[in-house]
Amino acid sequence: MHMLDGLNIINPLPLAALEVGHHLYWRVGGLQLHGQVFLTSWFVIGLLLIAAIAAGRNVQRIPSGIQNLMEFALEFIRNLTKEHIGEKEYRPWVPFIGTLFLFIFVSNWSGALLPWKLIHLPAGELAAPTGDINTTVALALLTSLAYFYAGFRKRGLGYLAKYLEPQPFLLPINILEDFTKPLSLSFRLFGNILADELVVGVLVLLVPFIVPMPVMLLGLFTSAIQALVFATLAAVYIGEAIEGHGGHEEEH
Amino acid sequence: MIPQWTLLLATAAVEEVAEKGKLFDFDATLPLMAIQIVVLVLVLDKLFYTPLGKVLDDRDEYIRGGLSTAKARLAEAEALKTQYEKELAETRRESNTVIVTAKAEAKKIADGQIAETQQAAQVQREQAQQEIDKQKQSAFTALEPQIEALSRQILTKLLGAELVK
Amino acid sequence: MNPTVAAASVIAAALAVGLAAIGPGIGQGTAAGSAVEGIARQPEAEGKIRGTLLLSLAFMESLTIYGLVVALILLFANPFA
Repeated sequence: MHMLDGLNIINPLPLAALEVGHHLYWRVGGLQLHGQVFLTSWFVIGLLLIAAIAAGRNVQRIPSGIQNLMEFALEFIRNLTKEHIGEKEYRPWVPFIGTLFLFIFVSNWSGALLPWKLIHLPAGELAAPTGDINTTVALALLTSLAYFYAGFRKRGLGYLAKYLEPQPFLLPINILEDFTKPLSLSFRLFGNILADELVVGVLVLLVPFIVPMPVMLLGLFTSAIQALVFATLAAVYIGEAIEGHGGHEEEH
Repeated sequence: MIPQWTLLLATAAVEEVAEKGKLFDFDATLPLMAIQIVVLVLVLDKLFYTPLGKVLDDRDEYIRGGLSTAKARLAEAEALKTQYEKELAETRRESNTVIVTAKAEAKKIADGQIAETQQAAQVQREQAQQEIDKQKQSAFTALEPQIEALSRQILTKLLGAELVK
Repeated sequence: MNPTVAAASVIAAALAVGLAAIGPGIGQGTAAGSAVEGIARQPEAEGKIRGTLLLSLAFMESLTIYGLVVALILLFANPFA
């Protein structure tokens, strides 16, 4: 691509370089890993663990400080799970849905709020873990496994009967749905986070001050909404597997 | 080999980079991340969801219990209030009857006394009247001869003594 | 990379995002309009309507994002390069 070389202006700002698809590769026993994803995900997990320990260490009947915040989060997650899985079955799924929500939410916001780019890596750059396709696919596949597990545990082999509902000739579409669900889940999250980062990156390249602020705020907003959407959809899928087809809004 | 595109400025300046790298790069990150998340779920369940969930449930229970005892107490207070009100009404009625009877008695006494006094006054007046009448009578009887004498005198004065005889 | 493939990829990426934005744009407009109508008719249901609206907007938005993902594939992970 030498025809565009003339346009390649040297960027004066070290913060504003835009990189897509660079990775910091680690090799562990013949396995290839994306190091930057693990670094930020460990940061996120550490943050969650610290918050959980601080909140759960000394629980009081009248909450204060961090316990209040985490109780609010837990109550929110419980309501979400209860709404989509049902009053009777929701309790065992609260940890799974809640961890999905908290992990995605903290990841997204850490990517949007923290100046990761100040830390220089040999290759690639630190960003939200959810901006990497591996993470989102892992989360989506876990969701798929979770709803299969939920269905088989609740209804045994009778769960397979749902593939013949509402009409037997819909079998291929029902099977296809099991592939499109994780696909759409993972691509939605990945695309949204990456798009946010790209848009903010491009705007920062063009105008480094003030102007990208509204877009960054919008990014915070979409990040939170995407975490909510992922958790909601996971809960909806699990609820659907538990109680059979129908009753819940079906996502495209 | 797939070239690495680097986006510099909005005009997507493209250059070839020797380093391998791509957007959809699936590798061992995926399963390890999944394991990481599962472990996180288990750890957070122990550290966070179970204890805090228990606290929430306990608090719900506590609030529900408090609410029910408060409701019971409220009902009790309500019952006491109605009882007191009933008693109050009863007492008021009683006092009313007492007042009415007392008033009636007082009126009766007053009426009796007034009548007695009036009677006594009547008697006295009648006695006085009789006295006056008696005295008038006696005065008239006492004056009768005098009137006779006086009228005879007047006649003699007017007609002369000889005519009178 | 073959210049023809590069040019085609860039155009295709632009089309992917541009076309994928049309439908969700219309849909989001309709949804927001209906939500405003609903709030005007029943102001006490505003919170619930807003929540549902945001969630459905996110679903529509993800359609555009699929287009964007395709565009990103064409730009950064082009299988024909």
